[in-house]
Amino acid sequence: MLFACSLCAGVLQARTRPRYGGTIRVLVDTDPLQAPNGAALRLVFDGLTQPGIDLESDLQPALALRWVSENNSHRWQFWLRPGVVFQDGAPLTAVAVAASLNQSCRMTACPWSGVHISGQSVVFIGESPMPNLPAMLARPEFLIRELPATASSETPLPIGTGPFRVKDGTAATIRLEANEDCWQGRPFADAVEFRLAHANRDLWAELSTGKTDLIEIAPSEIRAARQRQLRVIQAPDANLLALEVNNPNLAPQLRAAIALSVDRAALQQVIFQKQADVSASLLPAALSGYSFLFPTDRDLAGALAQRGGVNPPPLTLAADAGAPMQLAAQRLALNLHDAGFTVKVVPLIPGLNVTQRADLVLRSLPVAGISPGATLEWTLHNLEINAPVAPAEPVVAFLAERDLLAQHTVVPLLFLPRAWVASSRLRDLHLEADGLPDLANASLVEGELARTSVERAP
Amino acid sequence: MSLRQKLLLLFSLTVAAAVAAVAWTVLLRIRKVFEQQDQEKTALLVTQFQREFQHRSTEVASEMDRLAASERLRSLARDLAETGDASPYLTEAQSLAAESQLDFLEILGPDGNIVSSAQWPARFGYPEPALNSAAGPAAFIKRDDLPDGASAVGIFAVRAIQGAPAVKLLGGRRLDRQFLADLPTPAGVEAYLYNAPESTNEVAPAFQPSLLLGVNGEVPNAAQYAGVLASAERSGQPASTLIYLTPRREDSVNATAMPLKSANGQVMAVLVVAASRRAMVEAQRHIRAIAYTVAAAGILITIAISIAIAVRVSRPIEELARAAEEVAHGNWRVRVEARGRDEVAMLARSFNHMTAELTAQQERLIQSERVAAWRELARRLAHELKNPLFPLQITVENLVRSRSLSDAEFDEVFRESTQTLGMELANLKTIIGRFSDFSRMPKPQLERIDSQAVLVRVMKLYAQPQPGPTEAAGEPKIEYKFDLNVELDNARLLIDADPEMLHRALSNLVLNAMDAMPDGGTLTLSAKALADRVEIRVADSGQGMTPEECARLFTPYYTTKQHGTGLGLAIVQSVVSDHNATIAVESQPGGGTAFVLLFPRAADEASQVS
Repeated sequence: MLFACSLCAGVLQARTRPRYGGTIRVLVDTDPLQAPNGAALRLVFDGLTQPGIDLESDLQPALALRWVSENNSHRWQFWLRPGVVFQDGAPLTAVAVAASLNQSCRMTACPWSGVHISGQSVVFIGESPMPNLPAMLARPEFLIRELPATASSETPLPIGTGPFRVKDGTAATIRLEANEDCWQGRPFADAVEFRLAHANRDLWAELSTGKTDLIEIAPSEIRAARQRQLRVIQAPDANLLALEVNNPNLAPQLRAAIALSVDRAALQQVIFQKQADVSASLLPAALSGYSFLFPTDRDLAGALAQRGGVNPPPLTLAADAGAPMQLAAQRLALNLHDAGFTVKVVPLIPGLNVTQRADLVLRSLPVAGISPGATLEWTLHNLEINAPVAPAEPVVAFLAERDLLAQHTVVPLLFLPRAWVASSRLRDLHLEADGLPDLANASLVEGELARTSVERAP
Repeated sequence: MSLRQKLLLLFSLTVAAAVAAVAWTVLLRIRKVFEQQDQEKTALLVTQFQREFQHRSTEVASEMDRLAASERLRSLARDLAETGDASPYLTEAQSLAAESQLDFLEILGPDGNIVSSAQWPARFGYPEPALNSAAGPAAFIKRDDLPDGASAVGIFAVRAIQGAPAVKLLGGRRLDRQFLADLPTPAGVEAYLYNAPESTNEVAPAFQPSLLLGVNGEVPNAAQYAGVLASAERSGQPASTLIYLTPRREDSVNATAMPLKSANGQVMAVLVVAASRRAMVEAQRHIRAIAYTVAAAGILITIAISIAIAVRVSRPIEELARAAEEVAHGNWRVRVEARGRDEVAMLARSFNHMTAELTAQQERLIQSERVAAWRELARRLAHELKNPLFPLQITVENLVRSRSLSDAEFDEVFRESTQTLGMELANLKTIIGRFSDFSRMPKPQLERIDSQAVLVRVMKLYAQPQPGPTEAAGEPKIEYKFDLNVELDNARLLIDADPEMLHRALSNLVLNAMDAMPDGGTLTLSAKALADRVEIRVADSGQGMTPEECARLFTPYYTTKQHGTGLGLAIVQSVVSDHNATIAVESQPGGGTAFVLLFPRAADEASQVS
């Protein structure tokens, strides 16, 4: 009897213990190594800092062990973690970190004006205060990667310090393998395979046949996936859906009319199938605590009054080519048509400067962050809005955001979740605050039949 | 233009006009027949298209019936009625439309608002106005707005979901390029669809060529269809016309525009059936080419026959014309050949008779003139000889009667008589010499001379003589009662002439002038150059002559003088004629007389050399 009980307890313990090995197959909608939404970014690369496990957790050290600020946050010094090596065996040095950050600054605007090396530390110098710099360095845009020593005609495989290294890759598939020498320790899975999803993928077929363990789904698909009893994991409020008003010739009254005419409820209830949170604020309520102060209801009469009989010029509204975004853009065009605007929906062409962009741009911006200040600063940075650094005080921050939104150059609409459908083979999977799956700590259960359950991420 | 050419032209024009008239009539008839066939073919196509259109409408209605009865939509309607939540069905219409191959599909809730739209998914929650205008199960035409700002016309039908009639379906198929591609269009026939723009403020919208679509997209030369489209839109009835797409006839079409109207009678689109006339025009052209070839060959053959006929008809007339011309030139003995019994042969025989009569008359005239000339010569000779013979007869009779006189007296009479006889005999000799000179005019020996030198020589002969040895020897002094003027040109006036004969002729004229001025006057000799002639003028200021006298002036033996022979001016005319020159007289009574001689001017070799 005692032996039988011991045997059962051993089996149960073995089932709850993570198992090493296996290949996790992931179906994604975007390039997994492309910032800021690439699902493989944090698997291959590390930042100097890293977000906590949830919003309530503080910023965690990563490649940097500690950091201090001086001169009213104009100067920051980060001491690197010793003994860290890149996936090709090269040691992580301050020179490599500075080179990587400088390379990042060529791709996106950086808050600092210069990076210097001081022994095993890097020093950031800013012309203006950078109180949120440690949190910003945890963003995918500033992950540290090893730059090739010499220029080559072939594109080298990206090399970082993360738990997985890039084994090979094609346009449709990228394969990662476990990094045995990772400073965080070896991941449970031996490999991760990312595939780009085609337009008419069948979630059920992909999961039930074992071809895929994890599938990225759009917010509008969450409801249907749940109705089909699929295991959905989502990070709420990961992205801000906002309408950017670029046309500088639009009168303030017309911009206000645009802001008042949008029907957030229709977007939230129908297009995003009640899976988004309506908001007229740039920060989610969980982060700022004051977003309820911004009215979200549609005020068509107010919009018509603001327009005041003025015949506005024809406008263009650009949006991503994806189905929900195009549908949302068309709905917004209808909303604006009700208010007397003539709007034509066009596909979004990335890389254009402000003057070349459409009059209106429907954008989805990553907003999940460690602190409200850092998130707001980065959101404004993404919107290319020059505003003073958001203060930490909520009341002051609210007033600053209210003044900013009163200009109606950006109209917050919804906070969208980032969601995944996982097979039952995948266990211990949780999402980062920005919605990226932490596959380094996930493991596979071999031999278990596909079993669907609904699970919500913390 | 000769008679033959005129005949040929007349025949050719007549034949060409006849052939052209026949060809034009035939081609016109052929064209009418072809066009009638073409119109019948177009009408047949239009009927076929209308049947096809009805067939499409029936297909849409059937598909909508099937959808309305489907369990999927019945379940949707039940859920919608129970929960009132339309959000799960946002994309339902899209998937249903794809399965049913419908271009338009909208699920309409009990409130009439759109639950799901295939063509414009973002329109959920908006009302569908067509729901109220649609009446009955029949399909109808409707224009639907699209998300890109454009609009599309389609065949629509409305159906209530079975078991839940409050929930309705509005769906249809688009009238677009695919619709045109599915139409059974035979070769040479194109079907176009004009999506009529919506009129605003009751103002008819202007024609937009980009809205006229064919199977391959925009229609080339779309602007040419504006008229027939406007006519169909305005009247709401089918309109047909002939359209020239380019100035070439083969690029023309018989276009029929059929308005496609909505349930309330508004023209939503116009279906255009354009039947190319290229085959017809090319067939006409082929037939015309054959007709032209036959006509040209006929005309050429006719011209050849006309030439032969014209030659046959005109040859006797031409011979007659040539003979008449020879008669005009003095050859009265010419004859023409008279063949056949027609009018021309009669004319030829009459002509021959006429010339024979003329020849006989001429011979008779010559004969009579010859007799008259002999009579005139005899009269003149008798007249001239009678004057000296009468004194000779008196003198001989006196001499016979004087034999009875004393010797002294007889001697006296004999001496006087012999003297008289001698004088009269000399006179007779002179008269006979003149006649002899006139009959024996020598042929001129031409040489290139200065006509002014001849005048100077004549002037010196008849100028007032200067006192000289003869006067000193007691001879009688010759004193002229006229003034002699000589007008000469500075340049040499060369002519080819016999200087002696010319001198003699001019001297005769000067003597005549002197005789015309018995009481004195002015004698003028002049020479001047004309264009290609040299004019020599001998003028006096005498009494002049009447026109009748001038007309007979050069007639031999005609004279106005008491003792003239009438041969002086005849000799002058003979000399002038022998030099290929002309002489004319200018005179009027009391106004003097001038003789004008025109000689051909010879080239001045000296001046040419210089």
